[in-house]
Order: sequence, then C-alpha cells, then structure tokens
Amino acid sequence: METFALSEPVLLVLLSLAEQPRHGYSILKDVESMSGGRVLLSTGTLYGALQRLLDHGWIERVEEDNTPRDRRTYKLTSRGRRNLQMEIRRMRHLTRVAALRMPGKEA
Amino acid sequence: MILTVYCWLLCLYPGSYRDEFAEEMTQVFHDAKSDLPPTPAAKISFYRREFCGLLAGALRAHFDRLFNPANSSRRFHMQAQFRFPRSTVFLMLVIMAGVMLTIAKASSVAGGTLGSAWSALLSLLVWMLLSMSTAAALVWGILHTLRRSGVHRLDNVQSWMRSVESNGNR
Repeated sequence: METFALSEPVLLVLLSLAEQPRHGYSILKDVESMSGGRVLLSTGTLYGALQRLLDHGWIERVEEDNTPRDRRTYKLTSRGRRNLQMEIRRMRHLTRVAALRMPGKEA
Repeated sequence: MILTVYCWLLCLYPGSYRDEFAEEMTQVFHDAKSDLPPTPAAKISFYRREFCGLLAGALRAHFDRLFNPANSSRRFHMQAQFRFPRSTVFLMLVIMAGVMLTIAKASSVAGGTLGSAWSALLSLLVWMLLSMSTAAALVWGILHTLRRSGVHRLDNVQSWMRSVESNGNR
C-alpha cells in the first residue's frame, strides 16, 4: 500500500466517492450523514483532503463540458479504489484482533 | 458580508491553489451557509469551524508548497517553486505578532521582571533577520546561477520525454 496517511476525514471522503461521483457540497453532507453528525468538515479541510487525493492520483475530476467551475465533480480512480479496499481490509483485521483481545467488550 | 470575509481569507492560500479551488470553496461555503439551522449556536459553530479550517488549510498548503513540492508537481512548475508567496509573509507576521503579544502578556504577569528579556529578544530578532537575509541572498545566488546555466530547462525536457513516451504507448 502507498504511504499516505488516511485520517478519518480523508477516509470518509474516499468512502463517499466510492459510492458515486460527487461535488464538494455533496461530499460534505454525505460525510456528515455517514458519521452520524460526528464529523463536520469545513471547506478548508475538505479541499485540503481533495487536493492531496488529487496529487496522489486517488481521485480525479469528472470532465464534463457543461459543469460550471464552482461545482466540479470528483470520482475515485482505480488506484484510489484499490487502496481504499486495502485500508478496509486492514481495519477489518484490526477489528478482529481487537475482538479477540477484548472478548468481553464490544470491539 | 461574511462571504466577503471568507473570500478575503482565501487570499491566504497560495495563488495556484486559489486558481484551482477558490471558486468551488466559495460555492460550497455559500451552500453550507444557506443550509444552516437558524440558531445562533449553529451559526457560531459553523463560522468558527470554517475560519479555523481555512487558516489551518492555508498554513498546510504553504508548508506543502515550500517543503514538499514533489507532491504538488501536478500544479506547480519548477520556476514557481522558487517564489516566496506574499501570503506566507503575511502569515509569518501574524505568527510573530502572536509571539510578541504572548511575551508582552507574560512580561506584564511577571510584574516587569522580564524587562531584560525584551532586549534579548530584540537582539535575537536582529540576529535572525541578518542570518535569514544572508541565507536568502545565498539561495538566490545559487538559483540565479542555476537559471543562467539552463538547468531549469531540464523540467521542460522531462515533460517533453513523458509526452513522447505516452504518445508512443498509444
């Protein structure tokens, strides 16, 4: 897996784009909904994350002729999807280990 | 009014970042503001989150640009990396003003016993200014020599080679 720190906001942005291509505000609302209102992204945080993901080639812009510049859509690339799947496998493994180490409690 | 402040704060970002994202960010901010619940608490929380996020994002963008240009190669050309953005100077001045205020506050709390610390601080600042000016002149000299030697054109050659390779693969 590539060396790229996946913070919770970045992971949620990736999960949001895994379902379908979205524009900025749609990602913002989806992240809020996925986290049950716990993670509220600011525009600065969101576009910082999008910039890093674009730089690493994990997401790309959907090129559409009629899309205005202030409402561009982003989608996951195949590299981004592959890395996201690896991260999810890693988290599943971690959860299994946590359940084994703390059998009496919910992991 | 608040949108004007937001746009003004966007000026803290590097120019290339603004060119790429400022319009989208402004639109998303506008949409999010329109969707806010009409309670003062929600508004205060939203504006605090947005403005802190902008300041942190601007700082991070500048640090990425200055210290990690390899990751930003998608947007920044070799020549642009050598320019010190004006907004960085502004951010550095804000940070320095914060440090000075903190020292002044500490001095007043300590009842003026830190008076000598001011002269030490001033001499330290003068020393830092001199050494940074020398370092900047040195770096500028090296870059100027490199530019005159034509090394910067290597970037164009590499881009050209990549385009030739991609055309060959088609």
